[in-house]
Amino acid sequence: MNIVVCVKQIPDPADPGALDPETKTLKRDVKLILDESDSYGVEMALQLAGDEGTVSLVSMAPNSEVGGLRTALAMGAESAVLVSDDALKGSDALTTAKVLAAAIAKSSPDLVIAATESSDGYTGTVPEQIAALMDLPSVTFAKEIALDGGTAKVKRQTESGYDSVECPLPCLVSVTAGVVEPRYPSFKGIMAAKAKPVEEVTVADLGLDAGSVGWAGAGQEIVSIEDAPAREAGEVIEDEGDAHERIVAFLDELKVL
Amino acid sequence: MRFGWSEDQLAFRDAARDLLSKECGPDVVRTAWEGAPDPKPWSSLEAMGVLSVLVPEADGGLGLDETFLVPVLEEAGRAALPQPITDTAMVAASLGVTGSVVVTDLGGPIVGSADTADGFLLAVDGGVALFDADQVEREPVTTVDRSRHAARIRATGPGRTVTDDASEVAAARDRGALGTAAELVGLADQMLAITVDYVGERQQFGKPIGSFQAVKHHLANARVAIEFAGPAVARAAWSIAEGADTASRDASMAKYLANEAAAESAKVALQCHGAIGYTVECDLHLYLKRSWALRRLWGDSDHHVDRVAGVLFE
Repeated sequence: MNIVVCVKQIPDPADPGALDPETKTLKRDVKLILDESDSYGVEMALQLAGDEGTVSLVSMAPNSEVGGLRTALAMGAESAVLVSDDALKGSDALTTAKVLAAAIAKSSPDLVIAATESSDGYTGTVPEQIAALMDLPSVTFAKEIALDGGTAKVKRQTESGYDSVECPLPCLVSVTAGVVEPRYPSFKGIMAAKAKPVEEVTVADLGLDAGSVGWAGAGQEIVSIEDAPAREAGEVIEDEGDAHERIVAFLDELKVL
Repeated sequence: MRFGWSEDQLAFRDAARDLLSKECGPDVVRTAWEGAPDPKPWSSLEAMGVLSVLVPEADGGLGLDETFLVPVLEEAGRAALPQPITDTAMVAASLGVTGSVVVTDLGGPIVGSADTADGFLLAVDGGVALFDADQVEREPVTTVDRSRHAARIRATGPGRTVTDDASEVAAARDRGALGTAAELVGLADQMLAITVDYVGERQQFGKPIGSFQAVKHHLANARVAIEFAGPAVARAAWSIAEGADTASRDASMAKYLANEAAAESAKVALQCHGAIGYTVECDLHLYLKRSWALRRLWGDSDHHVDRVAGVLFE
């Protein structure tokens, strides 16, 4: 079983930096860490691969950044491919998917796992775009994955419960944060991760045209950026005997009941 | 010469910080005040390899030195981890004693985690012996920090001699002082962080109280004390790891400065919180009382400043 996990390296949410007013994009000149939402996919892949299979990582990041990849390697992944190229600055979600798909295709995996969405971009579209570009079937919002021969059996999270679906391998599955409890990297794993191979490739290495990626290939333009509006004050409910009903109605509207 | 932690040492620290931030929040420390501590953070740290940093590779450990453990102990202090990490990972491991929870009276007669330990390293006739849990008698002691579950320990069985070499016992005491100093630096930093958050929210005269100069000066004094203690702790770790002639002096300098930093941070935190800081409902007290307890363990400030003075003026 050859599993590839898409992982994103993002600015630490505890110190997220800021948007660059010139490029109108997130400043990424800080140390990047493994997106926590990807740690679930790494853990799921390690459990599915067991002792027989292999888990490798694919990531796209500026400045040859490998900090987040090292964390996933310390968890137990065997190797990584990092796509890092100045030409990728300004890439939109579709370009990101094209780049990752080209990098994934090099290893012909049985299964590709991705997070449902990243914790900084939140487009939530890249996994399905990768699947479409690679002509793979895909399953979204997986809360549980089991492999049975050439089939992936997935419990797919829905608003009211879950759907049980089956999908032939190879396929792409995007997982939710509840799929498994990610392990902590052990100290031995941290030290061993330094010796694991990380292959850095460029856009040209993947056979892609530099003019079709980055700002040049983006199908979108960021016109302006503004600070998020300050959080509005909450609603104060004075209890006149019906407060519980109004609270229940409020929670019901949020679909948390 | 390189001044600073290596990439691996920082990675260990970050991994421990991540684990403890998820598994050892104030609610976990508070639980330990009311009963047995939650074993999960400890078992997770054990699985991560924290307890075997100083254990030789031949015995299944990592075979590393104190400079790898000290940044992790700072994180344990920051989280006010209830279990005896300095006793187990720093002191017992360096004496070749491994176990799930090992405590010792080398740091003082009041021993923490006395009710959950499975190994007891006790000072015996100038040496140290190891006793199992059924070979000791515990006399529970009520201390300022109830999360430590402290007791006086008396051996009732024969035990196993670990060392009768006085220099090894002295080195174990230096390691205990170093480990506790690291925990105190983490605690001091945590108390300051909690206080900075609080004074940024607490309003008086229509402004956050943190905007007033008098409050800022208090906080700056605590920060200065922490910044002085941290490098001394790192230096002591290096000296002990390298077997430097100054190792004992450096351990004492580290413990003294960490004691003072924790004392300053605790005083400032309590002052800036006002009356709420005195209550057990406020999380601050969990960290305050741990710092008060640890300052007296493995030698108080007077003990260590006398040791440093003894070296300087001999």
